[in-house]
Amino acid sequence: MASGGVKRTTALVGYAVVPNAREVLCGLYTKTLSALQKLPKEAAYRRNTERIVQQRLQIVQSETHVPAIEDKIGCGQVEELIDQANRELELVGKMEEWRPWEQPIADPPPGQWSWP
Amino acid sequence: MAAFARRLLGSSRSLLWWRGPTSINPGAIAARPFSNAVTTTAREEKRLRLSDYGRYVEENLPKFVQQTQVTHNNELEVLIHPEGLIPVLTFLRDHHNSQFRQLQDIAALDIPKNVYRFELVYNLLSVTFNSRIRVRTYTDELTPIDSVVPLFNSAIWAEREAWDMYGVFFANHPDLRRILTDYGFEGHPLRKDFPLSGYVEVRYDDEVKRVVCEPIELTQEFRKFDLSSPWEQFPTHRKYPQIEDKGEDSDNE
Repeated sequence: MASGGVKRTTALVGYAVVPNAREVLCGLYTKTLSALQKLPKEAAYRRNTERIVQQRLQIVQSETHVPAIEDKIGCGQVEELIDQANRELELVGKMEEWRPWEQPIADPPPGQWSWP
Repeated sequence: MAAFARRLLGSSRSLLWWRGPTSINPGAIAARPFSNAVTTTAREEKRLRLSDYGRYVEENLPKFVQQTQVTHNNELEVLIHPEGLIPVLTFLRDHHNSQFRQLQDIAALDIPKNVYRFELVYNLLSVTFNSRIRVRTYTDELTPIDSVVPLFNSAIWAEREAWDMYGVFFANHPDLRRILTDYGFEGHPLRKDFPLSGYVEVRYDDEVKRVVCEPIELTQEFRKFDLSSPWEQFPTHRKYPQIEDKGEDSDNE
C-alpha cells in the first residue's frame, strides 16, 4: 500500500478490507472515550483504557496514511485495530455493570492457594 | 599440531563471534563469555514482564482478583473469586492490552481437604502478544460455576469433560452431558473418593451370548496400599515445626 494502490486483502481469515478505516477508527475511539466518562474517575480500568485509547486516537488523527498508522500503533493492520476497538467499546459497557473497581468480594478460604 | 591448534582457536573465536550478535545484552556477554548469560537475562526479563502484567490485571480488577503470581517456570497465574470468572475472562479477551482470544483448556483438581474442594484452571492464549495466562478459581459439588461458553466456544467440550470427570456443575452450559465415560456410567471417576477399581465390570457372558455389566467382584476383597514415602517430599511447604521426640516425657503422658 506504500505505492498508493488499493488494498485488496488483509490476508487474514475473517478480516475484510475496510476502505475508510481511519474514519471508522476515529469514530470508535471517540465513542469509547465518551463511554468511559460514565465510570468513576478513580477507577484504574478507566484511567488505563483512557490512556491507551487517547494515544491511539492521537496517532490516527495525526496521520492520514494508513500504513503510517499501522506502523506507529504497532498492533497489526487497521482491520485488526478496528476489531480491537470494537471489543473494548463493548467491554466498557459491561464493566459499567460489573463495577470491578470496588472492594474485593471475599478473601479466599484459608489454605486455598497454598500447595500442597 | 600447529594447524590443529589454529583450527581449535579459530573455532572458538567463531563461536564467540556467533554468540555476540545473537545476545540480547552484549555487554553482559563480553564480561562473561562462557556463562549462560543469554538465557538467564531473557528469562529474567520475561519474568519481570509477566509480573508487571499480573499487577496490571490486579489493578484493573481489584474486586475479583485475589492474587497473581508467576510460577518458577515463568507462567503467569491469576487467582480469582468464582463470581468474577466471567468479568475477568471477558477483560482478558477484550481489553486492548490483553487480547487473550483463545481458551486452550479447562483443567480441574480435586483437593478434598479444602473448603471448596474443586479448583478450576483456565489456560488462555494471546496470539497478538504471543503470551499465555492461567486463571484459577474454586468451587464445590453444590456450587454451580458460570459457564464460559458465551465467551469461548472451545469451552463446550472442556466443560463437559470437567463435568464428567469431577461433577463440577456449569450454569448456563448449552449441552452439559457426559463426554468420556460409557453410556449409563454413574459417578465422576477423577474424584478422590471414587474407588480405583470402579463400581461395575463389563464382560462377555457365554451363556446369555451378550456383554453383561455386573457389580465388581474382586478376588482379593481389600488391599492396603501403603503409599507413604520415608522421605519428606515438600520441605519448603512444611506447615508445623517438627516435634522432637522427648522419650520419657511422652511415656508419662
